[in-house]
Amino acid sequence: MCDHTNKNIYLPYLATVEEVIDETPDVRTLRLVFQDEQVRENFTFRAGQFGEYSAFGAGESTFCIASSPTRTGHIECCFRSVGRVTEELRRLEVGDTMGVRGPYGNSFPIEEFFGKNLVFVAGGIALPPLRTLIWNCLDWRDKFGDITIVYGARTESDLVYKRELKEWQERADVRLVKTVDPGGNGPEWDGKVGFVPTILEEAAPSADNTIALVCGPPIMIKFTLPVLEKLGFTDEQVYTTLENRMKCGLGKCGRCNVGNVYVCKDGPVFTAKQVKAMPMEF
Amino acid sequence: MTKSIDTSIYAAVSEAIRAEAQRILSDGTVTAIVGYAAARRKGSAQPIVISSADDAAKLIFTPACVNNLAVYLTKAKKEIPKKGKVGIVVKGCDLKALSGLMGESQLKREDLYLIGVPCAGVLASTVQPATELTSDSIAPKCTECDAQLPGGCDFVPPQAPLTPGQTRKYAAEIARLEALTPAERWAYWKEQFSKCIKCYACRQVCPFCFCEQCLCDRNKPQMVDTTPRPAGNTAWHIVRAMHLAGRCAGCAECERVCPMDIPLNLLNRKMAKELKELYDYEAGFEVNDKGPLNSYTEKDDQSFIK
Amino acid sequence: MQKFISEQNLHTLLDKLIAEGTRVVAPRMNAGTPLYEPLKSASEMVADQLPRRSGKEAFFPLCEDIMTYEKEGQKVTLKDIDPARFPETVLVGVRPCDAAAIPVLDAVFSWDYKDEFFLERRKKTTIVGLACTSADDACFCTAVGLSPSETRGSDLFLTPLEDGGYACESYSEKGEALIKGHLELFAEPGNSRAVSLAQPQTEKFDLKKVKAWLDEHFEDSSWDSIATRCVGCGACAFVCPVCHCFDIVDEGTEKSGKRRKNWDACGFWKFTHHASGHNPRDQQPKRYRNRIMHKFKYYEDKFGQTLCTGCGRCIRLCPVGIDIAQIVEEISKK
Repeated sequence: MCDHTNKNIYLPYLATVEEVIDETPDVRTLRLVFQDEQVRENFTFRAGQFGEYSAFGAGESTFCIASSPTRTGHIECCFRSVGRVTEELRRLEVGDTMGVRGPYGNSFPIEEFFGKNLVFVAGGIALPPLRTLIWNCLDWRDKFGDITIVYGARTESDLVYKRELKEWQERADVRLVKTVDPGGNGPEWDGKVGFVPTILEEAAPSADNTIALVCGPPIMIKFTLPVLEKLGFTDEQVYTTLENRMKCGLGKCGRCNVGNVYVCKDGPVFTAKQVKAMPMEF
Repeated sequence: MTKSIDTSIYAAVSEAIRAEAQRILSDGTVTAIVGYAAARRKGSAQPIVISSADDAAKLIFTPACVNNLAVYLTKAKKEIPKKGKVGIVVKGCDLKALSGLMGESQLKREDLYLIGVPCAGVLASTVQPATELTSDSIAPKCTECDAQLPGGCDFVPPQAPLTPGQTRKYAAEIARLEALTPAERWAYWKEQFSKCIKCYACRQVCPFCFCEQCLCDRNKPQMVDTTPRPAGNTAWHIVRAMHLAGRCAGCAECERVCPMDIPLNLLNRKMAKELKELYDYEAGFEVNDKGPLNSYTEKDDQSFIK
Repeated sequence: MQKFISEQNLHTLLDKLIAEGTRVVAPRMNAGTPLYEPLKSASEMVADQLPRRSGKEAFFPLCEDIMTYEKEGQKVTLKDIDPARFPETVLVGVRPCDAAAIPVLDAVFSWDYKDEFFLERRKKTTIVGLACTSADDACFCTAVGLSPSETRGSDLFLTPLEDGGYACESYSEKGEALIKGHLELFAEPGNSRAVSLAQPQTEKFDLKKVKAWLDEHFEDSSWDSIATRCVGCGACAFVCPVCHCFDIVDEGTEKSGKRRKNWDACGFWKFTHHASGHNPRDQQPKRYRNRIMHKFKYYEDKFGQTLCTGCGRCIRLCPVGIDIAQIVEEISKK
C-alpha cells in the first residue's frame, strides 16, 4: 500500500503522461509516470485496485489501475471518453500533467489462485480491470495452471488492447477466445462471432480447480453467471469487480454503497457469492 | 394590526372534496387523485396520491395545505402514475401553474380532472402548521391573491371564501427595493444569495422546473458553478428567475420551501411586474402556447436597440 | 468540574475570546435566518433559536477548498491546504442534538483514512453545549436516545437556571481548560434550580427493531408509499446534523483553480448517476430508502451508531412534509 505521508487525503500525486494509446475510437490508455521520485519508487498496488485520476480544472474520475503490478516504473489507466473529466483527460498529450490518488480498494486474492486454472471473461471496455490481473498472472506464469481468456466486444473496432490480444493469441500458454457480436465482424476477422456468454459456453472451460474472473456490462454478467453455473462453477469460484459512482474513494463521501457494502472500501473485487447477497443497487 | 381570517368554510370544502373524490374514483372517471391528507404533526398536511375510493376519506383542505400539487403531474415526477385521467386538488394559484403547463404542452386538459378549492389563504412557511390563519400568519402570496375561486375546473365546492383586504406584501417589498439605488439593491440580493446552500428545493418543487436535465446539473460545459458560493449562487438564482419570467404565476413554492429563507418569489414577482408593464402579459389565467419572451410582435418594446 | 456563570460573564468570556483571536461560533441571525456563524461580538448570539443548519458545519463546512492547482504549459503545481489555517474555535450555544452529532461524525471521518479537514478542526474546537428549553412536535431527540439535557459531544455544558445564569459542567479536558483559563468569570455552583427543559413528545423508538426490519426489507412495497412524494431536493440532508455525504469538484480557469469539497445529498438523482447514463438508484423511493437505511442500518452496521439525533430539522423543512420520525416509528411497529 502506498503510504500517505501527506496528511491531506484528497491531495493527488502528480503524474506525467508518458504515452497515449488509442485502443478504440473512443477508448484511450494513458501511461503515467509519477513526477515525485519517492512516489515513483514507493508506489505499489495490487491487481484489482483503483485510482482517482484528475484532469485539473475538470475534476476526478475513478478507474482501475489497468497495468500489472509486476510492471513497475509506470501505471496505466484506460477509459472511455463519456463525461467532463474523461473528455479533459482525453485532451492530455504526452508530457502533460495529471493527478492520481490511490491505490484504493481491495484486490484480487491472487495468492489464493496459485496452482489453479484461470478463466477470464470480459466484455468491451471491461477488459482493463482483468488485464491488470492477466499480465500479473502471465508474469508469474508458472504459478498457475491453464489460462483461458474469453473476450468479446460489439465490433472488431471496439476490442481494446488489440496488440495484446494478438500477443496472447500467439502464446502457447494462453488460450484466447475472442469474439464480436453478430454483425460486428469485418472480412478479416479471425475470431468467433457471437455474444460472450454463448461463446463461453462453447469454449466450455472445465470448472475443476478453476477460478473464473468476470468483468463486463451488467447485461453480460447477467447472462454469463448462469453459464458458469452450468459449467460447474460455484459462486465462490467466480470473481468480478463492481463499479459505482465514486468521489472520494476513501469511504467518506457516501455514494458508492450497494446496501451496506462500500464499493470503494469493501470492493471493487467481489465473489459472485458476495454479489448475489447484495441488494440490486449497482 | 392582526386580523383573523375566516377559514370556517374549509370543513365543508374538505367534505365536498372527499365526496367528489369518492365519486370519480368509484365511477372510474379518474385513476388517481393528487390531494392533501392530514399528517402527524398537529395541524399539518402533506401531499397524497390516492387511487382507491376507500382512501377518499383521507383528503382534507386546511390552511396547512400549502403545496402546489401541480409539480406531481410534471415529467419531473416519474413516480406518480400518469395512466388515464388523474384528478388533482387545486387552489387558484396552483391552477395558474397547470394552465402554464398546458400552454407548454406538458399536460393535456382532457387528461385532468380539476377539483378546485375555494381558498381564503394558507399559512406562511415561517409558522407552525397548527397556527391560526391571520393577516400575520398567512402566506405572503395570499395577500395578493386574485384567484380565490379557481375558474374552469371540473368541480368546485360551492362555498365562497371571505378574506379581508390585506397589505400586498410583495408589492410593498418590490416598491421598497425599487426605491433603493442599484448598489443597495445588489447588496440586498448578494446577502440573500450568500445564504443559498444549493439544496435545489426551489427547483424541485417548481412546476415549471420540469427540464429532463437542469442546465445546472449539466457539466459539459459547466455553465453554473455547483459550489454554494457567491458566484454560483447568484448565477443559479438569476438563471432561474429568467427561465421563469413570463411563466411563473406566483405559487411561491420556491420561496416557501427555501430552508434559508431567500425571498425567491420576490424575484419572480418583479419579473412578472416587468412583463406586465412591457407586454401587458400575466401568466396563468389562460392557456397560452407562447409567453412574451418567446414570441415576437412588431409592437414589442424596441427602445433598448440603440 | 461544576461551576456557575452569569449571563453577563458568559458574554464577557466570549468577547474576551474574540479579542484574543479565538473564533467564536454561535447561533446568530444572518439576514433573518438563525445560523451557527462566527461572532463579532457576544451580543450577536441568539441562544433561544435553533439554528436552521446544524453545528456540523463548524467542522465540515458547506463548501471548503481542499487544494489549489496552477497550470503552466505542461506543468501543474498543487498547493495543499495548511491545517494551521483552521483557527482555535469555541462553538457556543450548541443544542444537545447538534453537539451529540459531532462524535457520531468522528466515526466516518476518522476510520481508515483520516480526514484532516474534519479532524483538525475537531482538535481545535471546544464545544459548549446548551440545554434545550423549547421543543416543537418535530423534535424527537428523546426517540433516538438523546434528551434536551444530553451532554454527549459537549466539552462544557450550560444549563439555564431559574434565577438567571447557567450551571456549567465540564466533560472533557478542553472544557475544563476553558473554565480554568477564565476562572475569574466563573463562580461556585449555587442553589438555583434549572429552568424547565424542553419536553419532546415522541416516544423512544426501538432502534434494534427498526434495524432488524431494515436488515430484511431492502425490497419492500412500503418504500414507494413512504417516498413517492419526495421531490428529490437536498434540504433534508443539508440541514441534518449528521448527513455527511459530499461532492468533490474543480472550479477555476484553464490556468488555475481550486478543488472543493461540497455537501451533497443522496436525494439528488445525480448523486449516483454514472457518466454512462446508468443510475443504480433510478427512482426517488430508492434514493429515500438509502437515506433511511444509511441512518438506521448502514451506519449502525459499520460504526455501531445511529445516524440521527432527532433534531427534527428535516421534518420542519421538507417541502412535502416527509416525516422521518413517523416513518421510523411505523417501521418499529412492523
